[in-house]
Amino acid sequence: MSSDEIVDPTFQHDVSIRRVLLHLVLPLLALVLGILAVVLIGVHSYRTTRAGVQSLTHELLGAVQHYIGQEVSDYIMPAAAGNIIAAGMIGHVPAAVQDRVFYSYGGAMLRSVPQIQSFYLADDEGHFTLITRRKDGKNQERTTLQVRNGHKVFHHDYYTDDGEKIGEADDDAKDYDPRNRPWYQNTENSNEIKWTQPYLFATDKQFVMTSSMRFKAQDGHTLVFATNISLNELSGFLDKIKVGKTGNAIILDSKGRVMAGRHLMQQAEAAGWDPNKMVLNPKTHPVFARGFDHYRVRGVGAHSFALNGKRYVTIASLLPNSSEGWILLLSAPESDFSSFAEQSSRQSLQFAGIIIVFSIVLAGLLIRQVRRSERSDRRLEAQANQISREVSAVQQVAVTPRLFELSNDSLVLTEQLAHMAQARRASIWRFLHDGSAMICEDSYDLKQDTHSGGFEMSRTEMEAFFQAIEEGEAFTVARAASDPRTAQFERLVMREVGTRELSVHPVHNAEGIVGALVLEDASMAEHLVYFVDLVGSITGVRLASIYNRSAEQPDAQSTADAMHQALQQAASLPATRFDNMLMRAPQMGGVSASGIYPAVAVLVITFSDPVVDGSAETAQLLALIDHLATEVQRIALERHLFAVEVAGHRLICMAGCTAEEDPTALIRMADAALTMRETFMAALSASNLEPVFTMGLDYGAAFGGAVGEEPKVFNLWGQTVSVAELMAQGASDAGTIQVTERVYTELRDRYLFRSRGAFFAPHLGLARAYILAARR
Amino acid sequence: MDTRATGPVLELNKAVPSFDESGLPPVPFSMRLMPGDCAVVEARDASRTTIFADMCSGLVPLTDGSVKFMGLDWNELHDRETNALRGRIGRMTRRQSWADFLGTHMGIMLQQLHHTTRDMEDVVAEATRLSEWFGLPGLPVLRPTMLSDGDLLRAACVRAFMGRPRLLLLEDPLEASSADLEAAFLGALTTARDKGAGVIWLVRNNAVWQGYRQGITSMWRLADDGLVAVRTG
Repeated sequence: MSSDEIVDPTFQHDVSIRRVLLHLVLPLLALVLGILAVVLIGVHSYRTTRAGVQSLTHELLGAVQHYIGQEVSDYIMPAAAGNIIAAGMIGHVPAAVQDRVFYSYGGAMLRSVPQIQSFYLADDEGHFTLITRRKDGKNQERTTLQVRNGHKVFHHDYYTDDGEKIGEADDDAKDYDPRNRPWYQNTENSNEIKWTQPYLFATDKQFVMTSSMRFKAQDGHTLVFATNISLNELSGFLDKIKVGKTGNAIILDSKGRVMAGRHLMQQAEAAGWDPNKMVLNPKTHPVFARGFDHYRVRGVGAHSFALNGKRYVTIASLLPNSSEGWILLLSAPESDFSSFAEQSSRQSLQFAGIIIVFSIVLAGLLIRQVRRSERSDRRLEAQANQISREVSAVQQVAVTPRLFELSNDSLVLTEQLAHMAQARRASIWRFLHDGSAMICEDSYDLKQDTHSGGFEMSRTEMEAFFQAIEEGEAFTVARAASDPRTAQFERLVMREVGTRELSVHPVHNAEGIVGALVLEDASMAEHLVYFVDLVGSITGVRLASIYNRSAEQPDAQSTADAMHQALQQAASLPATRFDNMLMRAPQMGGVSASGIYPAVAVLVITFSDPVVDGSAETAQLLALIDHLATEVQRIALERHLFAVEVAGHRLICMAGCTAEEDPTALIRMADAALTMRETFMAALSASNLEPVFTMGLDYGAAFGGAVGEEPKVFNLWGQTVSVAELMAQGASDAGTIQVTERVYTELRDRYLFRSRGAFFAPHLGLARAYILAARR
Repeated sequence: MDTRATGPVLELNKAVPSFDESGLPPVPFSMRLMPGDCAVVEARDASRTTIFADMCSGLVPLTDGSVKFMGLDWNELHDRETNALRGRIGRMTRRQSWADFLGTHMGIMLQQLHHTTRDMEDVVAEATRLSEWFGLPGLPVLRPTMLSDGDLLRAACVRAFMGRPRLLLLEDPLEASSADLEAAFLGALTTARDKGAGVIWLVRNNAVWQGYRQGITSMWRLADDGLVAVRTG
């Protein structure tokens, strides 16, 4: 494609984009979407599970809380309800049996209700009665406040559970007055059950609370009945209760003081046995402290919060049937309830991960498969291209006129062969009829784009190579120099261009093996489908037409030798004529007045018109032209040319103006042309000018003679002259020598030529033109 | 030299032109032109010849089949590509095809200046060379209407062979022309073919191309029943 086109219509980008989209982006997109869907579903299921677990946790905690509330209520009930029952019983009996009722009630209660510590009964006159368990917890102790000898004493009577008295004792009561005790005083003006603050008995490590109730006896006295209930048992109960796996419960009063809970005694000890100091410590009970804060702000109910990166749920509720403002606080880590959910989420995440890995592997396989099929598509396409290239090459070969006639150089064969096989050089060799030598019909150098041919190799030089061809099998040698069959060929033919690989295809026809196609450094040779065979067959047919001709006498001498010989032969020719401007004294010896010359070599040199301004430049130019003219004279004399004419900006050199055909004329002329070209180039570049000349060379019949009065002027006419002129005018670049097919045919074994292609010339029709490149 | 360009230059594959829009018979046209080929198409009707050349340039809507130029189907290309592709066609047509508000030289060079990034100087040099080749004293700068018929024909030759055409659609250039134009024309034709151009030479009678007989690769006749191959030689 020509590179200077602005829009290249052959460039089609949409196909590749679509392909990339289809083969790479789509599977990846599907994969990403799949992964996204899995992740979304995972997250969603985790969230719903978590919400479910949370509500379940709350319900569970609610149930636990209800249960604990019930338990606590049951625990306190004997103290609260017992007061009412006892008050009713004592208040309705005569004063004389009040004590007995008190003892029997108290004894029965102490035996059956473990959390009750003792009962008090006091009246407004300062009488005080108490029933409690002995310290061993088995027997009962009845204490009354008595006055002996003006001293108040506590009189203790000890009974077994069966009511049998087992001892008594007294101790000093100092100034004890039950009416000053808090449990008595807080019932003032009330007939409701009142509770005291809990207080600690450091001696027996009991955390005790008193409920009391005021009532009127039959005799009109005011009595206060009090029940001491130990909270240790409640703490023990709360200790045993498990909320979730690791959660627990605590009972607080409205000021945040601990009423019951785990490790109550340790707390009491730490607080110095002062119940007022037993407040929740955020250091030791961080979760309860936070839960209590939440309760104080948000009221009763369940609250979730995070602490130290862990989520907790607490539930706070007011305890019924208890002292005012008691709060039951339950707390448990959420994970205790939701751990199974987390586990299930983790599992589903793992499953999702496995699915994702599988999808990635599948997508990878898909992409790999797609790429493979694409690659094979490309290979098929390349093969199809190769075939179409071969078809087009065959087409090129097929349209060549007179393809099967050996007289017509079918350069297209080697050219197409070299192009198709990407070979550095392709050549066609034929055996001489006796097989003693091989002659190169045509050799095409792809890199230099030049044709040559005519050289010869004798069997004695390379017997092994000849035999290898005569075996009839095509062979390829990667290193021609190291293979015994081709070592000699490499040395003689390949080394000059530096090729290493050689592939040889023998040419068959009816007579057997008549020659070979030789490809050097052919990178594509193995991919050629049938083209080499086809060219081989064509060559076979071409060679068959001449194979029966009599043995030829190849001219094996080198160009230099030939030149020398030609010059020697030409020594007898008449001296060179310089007509017109280059005229010397007329010497007509050896020239008929007018005549036909069968083989004249005519070289026409045309100069383009020089651009001059100023006389100094003109003078310079004239000096240069003079120099060039002198050089032409010298060369013409050296090469024994017949005549040199100057006409305007053209210079016409001719050789071979003899009645008999002179085989050396063309060689001398070609050599002169190359020498003149070099000389002109040197002279022009010395004057800092571009090469402003072109040369045309033809060889053939012409007629001419000396015309006019003395001094007569020699002139030549004919097609050869006009074609040579045409060649000079039509030369592709300045400084080139364009020659006709006939010149090429005569000289190709001595000089290197470059094919310029086929041209149409008036009166000649289609013909090929060549550029004479160099001496071989 | 890239005569090794693969595939046909022009391929008419059962292309059925729309009769309403072209006037060509609505029958399938099939033809293959390889690089370097020269096909002579004989047609009596001059306007039909022009329409046939239009069809090869993708200007005639088809009802069926396809016309491919350099392997690209005219119908499947966008305008930008179609226009660029037409820049690779050298054409001589009987239809009025010169813009009279421009000098002939602009008409000649417009295609190269529009489609390529070649230097102005380069294009002018080529146009001048071709003008001289076709027997003009130089690149004509007068307006086309001011030129004589013969010179306009020469200018048309120059325009067709400018650049490196891959396809030459030549509507009978040699009719009523002088003999020296014939030689120049055939020379230019051979050079273009050698560079890989495919040539469709549309003629009215078969006398004109006899001088070039050896160079013709195929011979067709444009008749009412479509394109008919004629035996050569």
